[in-house]
Amino acid sequence: MTKIDKNNTFLFKKIEDKTVVWLANSNQYITLEDKTAEILVDLIEEKSINTIAKNLAEELSIPLEEATHFVSVIEKELFLPNLIEKKNTESNFHNLEKLKTFQYSKKYLINDFIFLVDYESEEELYFVHPKFAHLEIENNAKTDFHYQVFTQNKFTFLIVDGSLIGSWHRNEIHFFQGKFSMQLVQDIHQKEEGKWLGVFHASAVSDGKSAMLFLGDSGNGKSTSLALLQANGFTCLADDFVPVDAEKQEVYAFPSAISIKKNSLPTLLPFYPELETSAEYHFERLNKVVRYLPPNNDDYRNHLPCKALIFVKYKAGSELKINKISNLTAFEQLVPDSWISPKKENAKIFLNWFSDLPCYELTYSNNTKMINTVKQLFNDEL
Amino acid sequence: MKQNIENTQNNKEISRKDALKKIGKYSKYTSLTALGTYMILSPQKAQAASLAAPEAPGSGF
Repeated sequence: MTKIDKNNTFLFKKIEDKTVVWLANSNQYITLEDKTAEILVDLIEEKSINTIAKNLAEELSIPLEEATHFVSVIEKELFLPNLIEKKNTESNFHNLEKLKTFQYSKKYLINDFIFLVDYESEEELYFVHPKFAHLEIENNAKTDFHYQVFTQNKFTFLIVDGSLIGSWHRNEIHFFQGKFSMQLVQDIHQKEEGKWLGVFHASAVSDGKSAMLFLGDSGNGKSTSLALLQANGFTCLADDFVPVDAEKQEVYAFPSAISIKKNSLPTLLPFYPELETSAEYHFERLNKVVRYLPPNNDDYRNHLPCKALIFVKYKAGSELKINKISNLTAFEQLVPDSWISPKKENAKIFLNWFSDLPCYELTYSNNTKMINTVKQLFNDEL
Repeated sequence: MKQNIENTQNNKEISRKDALKKIGKYSKYTSLTALGTYMILSPQKAQAASLAAPEAPGSGF
């Protein structure tokens, strides 16, 4: 355990009637009342508990003893624990026993890059390939990036150009998939991980000038909306895995296919008759059956500024409702479901970017009305 | 501090209530109780896909 510089372990950002504090140590965000954040600042500035408590007692007209107790608890819960650098004892690296043989090798063309991915068996193939099958090309002499995926003792490994990226237990295969996708993002857009602000679980749609992110819990129609919007003149930038860069805070394209659940098929078949015969994948543990719809994006180099966040809620039989929501409410929903860069400079950019972003909640049941509303939002007509 | 939000794929159903913390929750002074209410938000520790993997035929892991 080593002590770290306290001035580098906190960031403060006023959002609406609260102060959001970022903790470097744990890469967590806490939303505090402004006064409580001021007390934390006082502690950082090494003011004594007595001085801080005296001011608080006077301000709130409460006994000094109560105020002292309160400040002490803030010191104990919010200040001191964040001064100690936590050692990361978790490691996802495991010794490799032997060189593997690969049953499948696939090549994918993304932008001008050719990715060769070797899969040890059908299982590893299923972890990745269905989402990227639309990018597959016939074997070609050129390879820009070489990925290898194999499993040993229930851990699935990812190797890129001979370097071990990591390994993940089968129970955490979504983190393997996340890392695989992150690796692709870095290679496709030629930006290393530290240059990304975050990756959001959303659908990203664009009108060619800007992008909007659709967020919401599973079952609220993010992907279905995205598929409908791309059938109505919009471009799909990304489904499920939406990278935003730190430099310009733009939404970047990600080339995976849109996952379409079985109960969305009747809605989408009129627009995408090809879904009738596309392969079906069973996520038994999640009780989901999906088919994959390729995005209509013809240039995965795309990146556009984010115009708004929309929290979508599909509610059968409801009238369409669109409300602006507070950024703080949106923040509380977005953060736990996102990867946000743990770098201090990126956390600062994230807070500034997010605090100015218009956020809406859209409740709908009628898809045509939903599409019209999104058009109006893009055209500033609401 | 008590348990934070560890919002991973497996425990996505974490409500706003779970993220709320209170400092000095037994304080009889409402002004302090209000100041002492805060929320902890934990981003995911690593990038993740929202769907896991489909069952490969005959795999059964």
